[in-house]
Amino acid sequence: MKIFKETNIQFVKYIKMAISISTICILIGIISMVFFRGLNYGIDFTGGTLIQVQFDHNVTTAEIRNALATVNLENSMIQKSVGMNEYIIRIAQDNSTENIPAQISTGLNTLKETTYEIRRTEQVGPKIGKELRTATVWAIIWALVVIGIYISIRFQFRFAIGAVVALIHDVLFTLGVFSITHLEISLTTIAAFLTIVGYSLNDTIVIYDRVRENMKIMRSENITTIVNRSINETLSRTIITAFTTFIVVLVLSFTSGEIQVFAIAMMIGVIVGTYSSIYIAGPIVISLQSTRHAKKQ
Amino acid sequence: MFKKTNIRFIIIAITLTLAAYMVYWTIAYHTFPPEKVEEMRTDGSLDQYENRIVRLGLDLQGGVHVVLELNLPKLVETLASNPTPQLNSILEAAGNEYKSTDEDFFNILSRKVAAEDFRLVRHFSGLNKFKNDEIIAYLRDEAKDAVQRALQIIRNRVDQFGVSEPTIQKAGQYRIIVELAGIKDPAQARNLIQSTALLEFILLKDAQVTQSFIAAVDNYLKTGRQLATKDTKPVPEDTLVTLKESKDKAVSVNELLGITEAETGLESTPADTTLLVDERLFSEKPFSSLLRNVHNFIGVPERNVYAVKKILNNPGVQKLIPYDSKFLWSAKPERVTTPDGKTENYYLLYHLNREAGIQGKYITKADARYGSTQTNAAGQPIVNLSMNNEGAKIFSRLTGSNIGKFLAIVLDDKVYMSPSIRVKIPNGQAYIEGLDNMDEAKNIAIVLRAGALPAPVDIIEERTIGPSLGRDSITSSVRLGIIAFIAVIIFMIIYYKGAGLLADMAVLLNIVFVMAILATLGATLTLPGIAGLILTIGMAVDANVLVFERIRDELTKGKTVRAAIDAGYSRAFRTILDSNVTTMLTALILMQFGTGPVKGFAITLFWGILSSMFTAVFVTRTIFNYRTEHKILQSLSI
Repeated sequence: MKIFKETNIQFVKYIKMAISISTICILIGIISMVFFRGLNYGIDFTGGTLIQVQFDHNVTTAEIRNALATVNLENSMIQKSVGMNEYIIRIAQDNSTENIPAQISTGLNTLKETTYEIRRTEQVGPKIGKELRTATVWAIIWALVVIGIYISIRFQFRFAIGAVVALIHDVLFTLGVFSITHLEISLTTIAAFLTIVGYSLNDTIVIYDRVRENMKIMRSENITTIVNRSINETLSRTIITAFTTFIVVLVLSFTSGEIQVFAIAMMIGVIVGTYSSIYIAGPIVISLQSTRHAKKQ
Repeated sequence: MFKKTNIRFIIIAITLTLAAYMVYWTIAYHTFPPEKVEEMRTDGSLDQYENRIVRLGLDLQGGVHVVLELNLPKLVETLASNPTPQLNSILEAAGNEYKSTDEDFFNILSRKVAAEDFRLVRHFSGLNKFKNDEIIAYLRDEAKDAVQRALQIIRNRVDQFGVSEPTIQKAGQYRIIVELAGIKDPAQARNLIQSTALLEFILLKDAQVTQSFIAAVDNYLKTGRQLATKDTKPVPEDTLVTLKESKDKAVSVNELLGITEAETGLESTPADTTLLVDERLFSEKPFSSLLRNVHNFIGVPERNVYAVKKILNNPGVQKLIPYDSKFLWSAKPERVTTPDGKTENYYLLYHLNREAGIQGKYITKADARYGSTQTNAAGQPIVNLSMNNEGAKIFSRLTGSNIGKFLAIVLDDKVYMSPSIRVKIPNGQAYIEGLDNMDEAKNIAIVLRAGALPAPVDIIEERTIGPSLGRDSITSSVRLGIIAFIAVIIFMIIYYKGAGLLADMAVLLNIVFVMAILATLGATLTLPGIAGLILTIGMAVDANVLVFERIRDELTKGKTVRAAIDAGYSRAFRTILDSNVTTMLTALILMQFGTGPVKGFAITLFWGILSSMFTAVFVTRTIFNYRTEHKILQSLSI
């Protein structure tokens, strides 16, 4: 079976359109992040308390909220979880030294019709949250730097720029989606972001590798033709790998909790990563080449 | 002579055998029934398993993960001689700033001390150090030492508590991470770890002193409100109402405190929380109205505790507390039946000397047992204490000169009991009563034996996962993993036919290898780890896709099957190497920066990709070679 036979799609022709679309999408995301919805940081980054509780009878969010009101915690975020009668209660950080999980138990004890089991408790201090934010930003910066260096050594510097810009594109795009959908950013989401970086890079490298190879074979051709040819030649592989990875993260998205958010991030990432490898990483190499040629003349 | 292909087969056979051997231990261990595990733990044969298995993370088997930080302001306060309010306020300010910035505590302290032109030597004399900088350096060393001691003490406690495979390690400068897998009662474990185990015997203040303080607070609160006292009812002589006389009414916190809010600076509390106040006393003696007489101690109904704490913390009220005294609460509420048949939980409020009469450092033995028949605590769980000679002397002097007074036994600022001293106790024997059950007695004995922490430790991060959630996570993730795997297998067979089957085999091998590597490393499999493993399924086929696409290209160019295979593998290898190395670099960075869940994910991703290069390139190539060596293939199922 073979889906793609000797394709010769003029990807390079659509570059301007692609870049415009990307810029608009990312701008919408940034506007949402900065002016409107911001990012929904989980307690890993803000500090606070999370409790996952399962009731043995049907309860409504309002009932839980009333029960929590008895201990002055009615402002908690209460969210239905995937499990049977399972809820996640989040409480933002405050400076009280009270034992929040114990207070929640006291509150829930006032629910007369149902018993409950606390299945998970997480408490993160504000200092830890802040440190994690810093560590995460550094992790992403280091990842980009190390990747840039590696590609500069194995390929050329302009390839490194292309790859890193494509990666920043992917991360910004995914962040934008997270801002608009208000999905939670937790440690696991960050792992997903870095996996997207790794995945998208994989794609980009495969195309670059073919460009590197074709540059030796087709010495007389200009870079635009070479990049276009290389994208076409690797298209079949790009789509198949994207497809198999997508199947896997699609299946993972049927879990619950953090792994589900991870899978959703990855689904977005696979699509964006594949797109950026073709439309962002390739064209940047072309434009950096042309400006250099222009300077020489 | 061995042919090259045979050598390749031998390498594969050896690695596979090794991998299967490593995986065997893990599978065997996790399929043992619990009784068998317990039995093997006692006869010691479990060790050989535990050293070579993939352990399940806390998120999969349930457990507690706690990050503790040494309370540095408290540590400095403990080290200082005669701490004054000025020193305490500097320490508090430094502590608060430390909580919200990344700066080192001692740098902040150094700055604060300089800003106030404060001379630390006033509290740290006798060190032969006079400059602030020298003393700060000394404190810094003390803090490092204190963390090491705390680490050792917590390790001792956990060891005696009996948890299998606990992780107790230092993190950062002043932090300790404790991970306890599979424990049933997280709250109990938390108490065990966090308990400072600071045992003190403190004399109670005389009743008159306490009464005059309460009267002063009443007065303070009364003058603070503009409530007209038209219908003043006669107030009983004794300020504390005994239970029989009290006529309770429900009053909202606002009614009591809201009026005084402006004056006392109390935060307003939602109106629906009602307090139990004595009707006759409410207007005249607002503070006393919150209190009850319980066996001649100050009793506070459970729902008034919050209000009483607020009042005691009020700056104006703080000034009224005699300088040489402090207030502490009982460890447990007491259940008291009121005249109208209702039961109400009362916490006891103790007014104690500021300085302890004797501290727990003289304790040589602490055992949990049931009280003997001659004592008050007959048949109750108690902790029996023995002191060394020096302690016995101090204790003897303390008891001898205070006969008739009450002596509170205080553990971590909670009062467990307050017996009256009837005779001088010369032998340094004492016991703690008032415990819920034998388990609690045992825990207290453990923490007393393991010694007191140099300073309190604060829990700055805590994650507790119940065992049932862990089981559900394993079931669902394994099920989804299998579904994902089957989906990929089917797709590969449809798309690449025979070669696809080969790639599937490589993926399967890959999973076995990753498990074997994790077992060898003694790594822990977490839920994100499983996600990483499932993800490598998707990404591992990529190497084969690259190779197969190349082979197809070469075949269309008209090369023979054998030449196409050779060219396909050799050309694709460079691509595979570059793309995988970059992903592995990201995984390495994640391992470096990541904590807990992220790290688990990065580890499986890293090893998954590495081993996929072996399975997807070396193993599949060997099988292709084997087939082309035996006959000249005209066509390839690809």
